[in-house]
Amino acid sequence: MKAKALVILLLALLGGCTTTVIVEGTVPTPLVAKIPLEVGVHFPEDFKSFQHEEVIEHTGTFKFSLGEQNLTFFRNLMAAMFDRVVEVGEPPLARAEAAGLDGVIVPEILKYGFLTPGISGLNFYSASIHYRITLYGANGDKVADWTLVGYGKAEGGAFGRGDALSEATLLAIRDAGARIAIEFPNQPGVDVWIKRRNIAGNSGGDQIEPVPSPVEG
Amino acid sequence: MKRRVLFAFGWLGVIVLLSGCVSSRIEESRTANTGIQSHEALVILGRASYNDRQTEVSFTDCIANALGSGSTPIRMIPGDEFKDSLYPWFEPRTAPTSADDLALLFAQPGVQERIEESQVRYLAWIEGDTVTVDQGGSMSCTITSFGGGCFGMSYWEEDASYEASIWDLQNLTSAGEISADANGTSYLAGVIVPIPVLARPGNAACKALASQLKDFLVGTQASAGPDIERAR
Repeated sequence: MKAKALVILLLALLGGCTTTVIVEGTVPTPLVAKIPLEVGVHFPEDFKSFQHEEVIEHTGTFKFSLGEQNLTFFRNLMAAMFDRVVEVGEPPLARAEAAGLDGVIVPEILKYGFLTPGISGLNFYSASIHYRITLYGANGDKVADWTLVGYGKAEGGAFGRGDALSEATLLAIRDAGARIAIEFPNQPGVDVWIKRRNIAGNSGGDQIEPVPSPVEG
Repeated sequence: MKRRVLFAFGWLGVIVLLSGCVSSRIEESRTANTGIQSHEALVILGRASYNDRQTEVSFTDCIANALGSGSTPIRMIPGDEFKDSLYPWFEPRTAPTSADDLALLFAQPGVQERIEESQVRYLAWIEGDTVTVDQGGSMSCTITSFGGGCFGMSYWEEDASYEASIWDLQNLTSAGEISADANGTSYLAGVIVPIPVLARPGNAACKALASQLKDFLVGTQASAGPDIERAR
């Protein structure tokens, strides 16, 4: 009986060293001019249920769950950026699914990182998220590929460790979203794609050749 | 033992004499006439950057509270509410860095309408922080079966330095800058129990900056001569 109680106590103590961070909060709808195009968005499974786990020596284990927050935000972001958005399967799309679409956007999370005051020596918690946004043309060819990093930091004083990391992560999503809303239309390849699709739309054109992306070399 | 207690009380006397000794300095530079009507609002935003320092949320909250209360309160729009309503244009990496960028920002669809809707007349960017510039002394605490206590003294000196840049969102210009610097030393004396004597230069800088900012906005004429400078 005593041994059992000791094991329970030990597990409870070990459990106390794990910080589970569930990213919660809201990110507002961007106030930007809508791109007058219709796009499909494919959210990969990894993106929808993104999780990150890291063990830091002498500090403990950190578990982050940010897929749901990312998904909600990106749905909102895409709807604010384009005239019409539909969620689609993985590109290349079947002819029926691609009908009427000017392109398909695929967001991915490449990497997540965080710092605590104990690691950085600073007074705040910080988080970074590396995203890749890939744009495919109407015929399924890659048009552009953009990697960007969202940063966020939160003061540790007013929050607990988990709350501060959640806040920093939400700010990182918000930062990346701001950059996507403002800078995506001007990315190499995307700008020409928007121009060509608008011309094609105005002249009643249908299929066009994709614009080669500089990142494809 | 008696000698140590007397020594500690001696130090305490010195500390009490020095308590609340925070020196602060305010400087103001005006570039345009100002004035604010009761329906017009002010927004206080802290400059956030991705280096190792940033303006504390508690400081911008302190300024906003001080300006929004008192005998002549100014209508305040919370910074978070303002940033949310204009997302993504006031994020750390997208916010305008000078008043010259305001015209470009107002050309963005919906931005001018949102600002006019909320009747925000002025935006004050707060930049700066409070840092510990010096610390020293020593204090030890012991607990025995006969009791416990702390003896000794430690101190830390803090320097609070902040600047407010005021932008007129009606005329899309910079109205001026106000800077506040405060310096003070806090003590922790161990006389059986630890006795803190806190200087709080951050609080002093907040009060001084808020007071000057209110005077600045509530209506004065642009100075024809050199910048107004006042030391308190």
